[in-house]
Amino acid sequence: MTSAKAYKDAALAARLSDRVYRPAEDSDPSFTAEVEKIGGTAAHLCFQCGTCTGSCPSAPRSSYRIRTFMRRANLGMKDVCLNDPDLWLCTTCYTCSDRCPRDLIPTDVIMAMRNMAAKQGIVPKNFLATVNFIYNTGHGVPNNDANRVARVKLGLEPEPETTCKYPEFLPAIRKILEAYGTKQLADKVLSEGQ
Amino acid sequence: MSHDIHKYAFFLGCIAPNRYPGIEAAAIRTGKKLDIELVPLKGASCCPAPGAFGSIDLNVWYAMAARNLILAEQMNMDIALICNGCYKSIWEVNHKLKHNDELRDSVNEVLKEVDMEYKGTSNVYHLAELYYNDEVCGLNKLRDSVTTPLSGVKVACHYGCHLLKPAKDREFAGGAIGDSEHPMWFEELVDALGAEAVEYRNKMQCCGAGGGVRGYDIAHSLDITNEKLTNMTAAGADAIADTCPFCQLQFDRGQFEIGQKFGVEWHVPVLHYCEMLGLAQGMSPVELGLDLHQTSCKPFLDKLKGGQ
Amino acid sequence: MVYTGKNAAAAEAPEEPRIGVFICHCGTNIAGSIDVPAVRDYAATIPHVVVAQNYAYMCSTPGQNMIKDAIAEHHLTGVVVAACTPRLHEPTFRTATANGGLNPFRFEMANIRDQGSWVHMHDWDGGTAKAKDAIRIAVAKATKLEDLYPMSVPVEHRALVVGAGIGGIQASMDLAAAGIETYLIEKQPTIGGRMSQLDKTFPTLDCSQCILSPKMAEAGRTPGIKLYTLAEIENVEGYIGNFDVTIRRHARGVLTPNEAAAKGIIGGGCTGCGDCSNVCPVVKPNEWEFNMAPRKAIYICHAQVVPLIYTIDFDACVKCGLCITACGTKKAIDLEMQDELFTIKVGTVILATGYEAFPIEQKKEWGYKLYDNVITSLEFERLICASGPTIGHLVRPSDGETPQSVGFVLCAGSRDNTGIGKPYCSRFCCMYSLKHAHQVIEKIPGCRAYIFYMDIRSFGKAYEEFYYRVQNEGAKFIRGRVAQIQELPNKNLIVVAEDTLLGNQVQIEVDLVVLAAAIQPTAETEIVRRQFGVSCSGDKWLLEAHPKLNPCGTTTAGVYLAGVCQGPKDIPDTVAQAEGAASAASIPIHSGHVELEPYYAQCMQNLCAGCGMCTRLCPYSALSMTVVDGRTVMEVTAAKCKGCGTCGGFCPGGAIKMQHFTSPQILAQIDAFFLGGEQ
Ligand SMILES: Cc1cc2nc3c(=O)[nH]c(=O)nc-3n(C[C@H](O)[C@H](O)[C@H](O)COP(=O)(O)OP(=O)(O)OC[C@H]3O[C@@H](n4cnc5c(N)ncnc54)[C@H](O)[C@@H]3O)c2cc1C
Ligand code: SF4
Ligand code: SF4
Ligand code: SF4
Ligand code: SF4
Repeated sequence: MTSAKAYKDAALAARLSDRVYRPAEDSDPSFTAEVEKIGGTAAHLCFQCGTCTGSCPSAPRSSYRIRTFMRRANLGMKDVCLNDPDLWLCTTCYTCSDRCPRDLIPTDVIMAMRNMAAKQGIVPKNFLATVNFIYNTGHGVPNNDANRVARVKLGLEPEPETTCKYPEFLPAIRKILEAYGTKQLADKVLSEGQ
Repeated sequence: MSHDIHKYAFFLGCIAPNRYPGIEAAAIRTGKKLDIELVPLKGASCCPAPGAFGSIDLNVWYAMAARNLILAEQMNMDIALICNGCYKSIWEVNHKLKHNDELRDSVNEVLKEVDMEYKGTSNVYHLAELYYNDEVCGLNKLRDSVTTPLSGVKVACHYGCHLLKPAKDREFAGGAIGDSEHPMWFEELVDALGAEAVEYRNKMQCCGAGGGVRGYDIAHSLDITNEKLTNMTAAGADAIADTCPFCQLQFDRGQFEIGQKFGVEWHVPVLHYCEMLGLAQGMSPVELGLDLHQTSCKPFLDKLKGGQ
Repeated sequence: MVYTGKNAAAAEAPEEPRIGVFICHCGTNIAGSIDVPAVRDYAATIPHVVVAQNYAYMCSTPGQNMIKDAIAEHHLTGVVVAACTPRLHEPTFRTATANGGLNPFRFEMANIRDQGSWVHMHDWDGGTAKAKDAIRIAVAKATKLEDLYPMSVPVEHRALVVGAGIGGIQASMDLAAAGIETYLIEKQPTIGGRMSQLDKTFPTLDCSQCILSPKMAEAGRTPGIKLYTLAEIENVEGYIGNFDVTIRRHARGVLTPNEAAAKGIIGGGCTGCGDCSNVCPVVKPNEWEFNMAPRKAIYICHAQVVPLIYTIDFDACVKCGLCITACGTKKAIDLEMQDELFTIKVGTVILATGYEAFPIEQKKEWGYKLYDNVITSLEFERLICASGPTIGHLVRPSDGETPQSVGFVLCAGSRDNTGIGKPYCSRFCCMYSLKHAHQVIEKIPGCRAYIFYMDIRSFGKAYEEFYYRVQNEGAKFIRGRVAQIQELPNKNLIVVAEDTLLGNQVQIEVDLVVLAAAIQPTAETEIVRRQFGVSCSGDKWLLEAHPKLNPCGTTTAGVYLAGVCQGPKDIPDTVAQAEGAASAASIPIHSGHVELEPYYAQCMQNLCAGCGMCTRLCPYSALSMTVVDGRTVMEVTAAKCKGCGTCGGFCPGGAIKMQHFTSPQILAQIDAFFLGGEQ
C-alpha cells in the first residue's frame, strides 16, 4: 500500500510515498477467501470492534495488532500481511478467539496467513529448526545426555518410550514430513540462511 | 468413589520426558495411588508443537498428530497427557478429524503411504482433567492420597492457554472445566493438596511462550512472562503451579533469562501439578527431579517444612 | 370486499372452466429474470385457459381493470395472477375478481417473484421454467375452485391488554378513551414496568416517574380500564371478536376497598397506610430495587405503586399475624387468600409484555456478580434515582464510596454472535449510557466518565444533539469493545480494551463499571405467545404481521403488539406503537363484526363413521360429536376452525372437506405438476 514515487531524490520519493489504498492495486480478493478456507473462520464478518487486540498479550508490548490483520484480511492485502514481521508475534493464546463477539477465530486467521507465508518461504528459522529436530529424532525438544542421567536417577529408563527408545518409528515420521514438503521447505529456507 | 483401575495410553510429548523427567516419573507414580494406570505409548513423537508446526502447515500438523493418535487406537486405549501444548495437538486434531470427513480423508490419504489409518476410536484427556473428574478420580480421592499436605504455602495457578482455549471448541465432561475466563478447578486441585491457591490479576493470561514466539522473539515472550510473575507475586504467591511443561519451561528458565536480559530478579519456584501431587504423596524432591529446575525450588520446600 | 356474490358462469354449471391468466412484471423484479412473454405464450396453451396477458404492475389500477374486463369479455370462471405473494396482494386481486363479477374465491395466485425470480435471479431459463410450472399448477386449481362466502362474526365490545408497562398503559388508555372497556393484566403487584424504575429519560432528561406517574394513576382510576395486577393469563380460547380468556389472580393476601366492601367489611380494605409493613418481622431483598434495598414480607415495591395496595409475599410470610392486628378495623389482610380464576370475553388483544435484562454474568470476561463494583445499567438507574435505595447518591457497592471515575461498557452482550449474548442491537443502551454519563458528570463534580462503544447509535429525534451535549460535558469516548475487566485488591477495576481509533490497548482504572446489558423478552412472553398462537422471530421477540406495513399486527387475527415485546425500542417508539396497536385493535371492535375466511373444515355427515378421532386431533377444539338422525357424526364449529387441515388429512373415510383446499383441488395441482413441461 506504500509505494515510492519516481522522483530523482530517493529520500524525498520515499517520504512522499503514495499511501492510498486502492483496491485495484492493493487488494487480492482471493486472499480473503484463502485465509478463510485455511483458517476455517469467516474473517469478512469482522466489524473491527477491537476486542481481539484488547485481549491480546502481545499488543501492549509491540506493534502487533490482531485487529489490523483482520482488517487487512478483509481488504485482501496479501503482501502486507505475509511480509509483516508482526505476523509471528501471536502466541496463539486464543484469548481473542474466545471473546470475539462475531464468533470469529482471529488466531486461526493468523495461522492461515503464516501457512501462506511459509509456502512462500517467509518463515522464521526457529520454526524450521523444530521441523529438523523432529525429522531427526521425532522430538521438537530432543533428549540429551544430561537428561538421560537425570532420568536414570529418577528410576526411569534413559530413553523415554517414544521415538527415542523406538527409532524404528522414525521412517514413517520422515515420510509424512516429506509428503507435505515440510522437510524440503525447511532445508531450502535454512540453506538460504535468510 | 470407585476403585476400578483406569488405564490410559500415556502420551509424553517432548519437554516433560526430555527436560523435566520428574513430571513423567511423578505422573506414573502418583497415578498408581489414584487407580490411574499410565501405559507407555510406544513410538510416540512430538505432538507436534501446535504453534511451530501448525504455523508452517496445518495439514502436516494434522497428519503428525494423527500418527500419534493411531498408536493409541492400535492399543484400543484412550490417551492421557500432561502438557497443554500436547492437548491442543492431540485433542484438537482428534476432534477435528472425528468431525470433518474431508479432512480425515485427506490425512488418511497421506498416512496410507506409511500403512496407517486414522479411525477416530480413541479419546484424549489431560491428566489434570482426569484428577478433577469424579468418575475417574475426583477431589476426595486426591485428598485421601495426600500424606504430606503442602500446608503453609500460597500457590498461583497458571492454567495455560491450550488446554482451555478456544473454549468454544472444547468439550470437557465437567462443565466447571470449560470456563476460560474465571475457572477455579485448578485452585481446587491445588487446595486439595493442602496448599492455598491465590487469585491474582489477569490470571488467564498467556505465559508468553506459545505460537513460536519464545523462539522468534524471546524478549517479547519474556516480557509477557514478567507481567505474569508481577501479578502472581503481588498476590503473595510462593510458587507457581502449572499443567504444561512448556509453560513451566517459560517460567522456570524464563526467570533466569529475565534476570539476564532485563536485570529483573525473580525467585518463584515453578512446579507442574504432578510434581506437587508427588510431594503431597510423600515423594522426595530428588525423586521428583526438582533439582533439575533452573529456578530453585528451595524457598518453596523450605516454607513447606517451616509450615509443617 | 365488494362483490355481487353470484357469478353468471357458475349458475350455468356444470360448464367447462374458463380461466384467465395474468402475469405481472413487477417492474424488473420479475421481468428482469424471467422471460415473461414466453411464460404468457405458454400459459395460453394450458387447457382451459382462454386468455393470457402480461402487464408491468398487475396490482395497479389499470392492472386490476384488465382482470375485471377480461372476466366480462371472456366469461371467465377463474382468475390466476402470477406475481408476488398472496400475503402481499391476494386481497387486491380478490377485490378485482369480485369487481369483475366473479366470486372472489375464484381467484388463485402463482408466486413467481418471491419463490421465483428472486431466488433464481441468475438463472433465466430455470426461473422461466419454474414460473410456467407454477402457473400450470395454479390453473389446475382454478379450474376446480368453488364459490365461497366469508363468515361474518360479531365482535365483543371489549379488549384485553397483557402487560402494564408504558406500552400497555398507553394502549389501554387509548382503547378506554375510544369507548372500549379494556382489561389490563399485569403480573407484578404494580403497573409501570421498566419505565418506573428509570430515573431520567433521554434525550430531554424528564424525570421518568414524573411523566409516568400521572399515566399510572389515570390508568388506575379510569372507569373504562379494568386493572388486574398480580395477574396472569391462564388460558385462551376462541378467535378474533370472541376470545375467551381465563385470568389467574395470584393471591395478594390483601383486600382492596372494593373487595372488602363486597365481603361486607364496611369501610375496610387497604388504604396503603403501611402499618402492616412496619410490624412485619420478615425482611427480604426488594427485587424491584434489584435487591439493593430491603422490603418486608408484606410490602409495596415503591412509593408510587398503582394500585396502592400492599402485597404479601407468601413464600416469605411466616404467618405470625402481626400485620392483621396492625391493620385493625380495615380488616384488609387475609393470610389464607387463594389464587382466583375468572374468564373474560374480549374482541381483540394487545400483548405488551416488555423485556428483561439478559443475565450478563454469562459474559464472564466482565466479571458481573464476581466483582462488587461491576453493576448493570438498570442497577445504575436505581442508584442514581432520588427515590432509589441510596436516595440518588451514586455509590460503589464495595464500600459505599462515591465513584470518581466510571466506565460504561456498551453493547454488553448485544451484537454478540457467540451464542452466549444476543445477536441484535438492544437499541436504547447507547442513548441511556450517554444519559448515564451526563448524570455522573452532573451529580459528582470532577467525576470522569469513560464510554466504551463500538458505534454510538443516536438515531432518534434530538438524539445526536444529545450526543454533542455529553461530549461537551466532558465524557470520554473510547471506540473499542471492552475485552476484559480486572479487579484490583482495593476493588477498583481496570477496564481493558483497544482504542481502535488510536490503535492501542488502553487499560483504564475506574471506581465503578456499568454494563449496558443486552435485553431479551421476559420468560413469560414465550408462554403468552403460545397461548395466543403468536409467532416469534429467531431471537424470540414477538413477530409482527409485516415488518414494514403491519408492525402492530400479528399473524393471529385480533392480536396486536405494543412495545418492546416486539423488539427493542425506547419509550417514544413504545408509546407510538402502543397507540398504533390500540387503533388497530379498536377497528374490529368498532366495526362490530369481522369476516372470517371460509377456509374451515366441513363434515360430510353421510360419509362420517362417527369414530370421533378427529375431535381429539384438532389443535383448536373446533370439532365435536353430535347426533343427526340417530347417527353420531362430527360437527365443525366453523368460527373456531383455523383451516389447518389436520382433521381433513386424517379422516379415514374422507368425510372432512377442507374448503378452498379440497382433495380434488389439491390432486389437480399435483397432477398438473407431474404432467410437467410444455403441453
Ligand atoms: C437502563 C435503561 C434505561 C433506559 N432509559 C430510557 C430512557 O431514558 N428513555 C427511553 O425512551 N427509554 C429508556 N429505556 C427503555 C425503556 O425502558 C423501554 O422503552 C420501555 O420500558 C418499554 O416499555 P414496555 O411497556 O414495552 O415494556 P416494560 O416496561 O418491560 O413493561 C412490560 C410489562 O409487562 C409485564 N408483563 C410481562 N409479562 C407479562 C405477563 N405474562 N403477564 C402480565 N404482565 C406481564 C411486566 O411485568 C411489565 O410491567 C431504558 C431502558 C433501560 C434498560
Ligand atoms: S474481536 Fe472479532 S469482530 Fe472484533 S475486531 Fe477482533 S476479529 Fe473483528
Ligand atoms: S491468540 Fe494471538 S492474536 Fe489472539 S490474543 Fe493471543 S496472542 Fe493475541
Ligand atoms: S395496614 Fe392494612 S390498610 Fe394499611 S397498608 Fe397494610 S394492609 Fe393496607
Ligand atoms: S444501542 Fe448501542 S450499546 Fe446498545 S446494542 Fe445497540 S449499539 Fe450497542
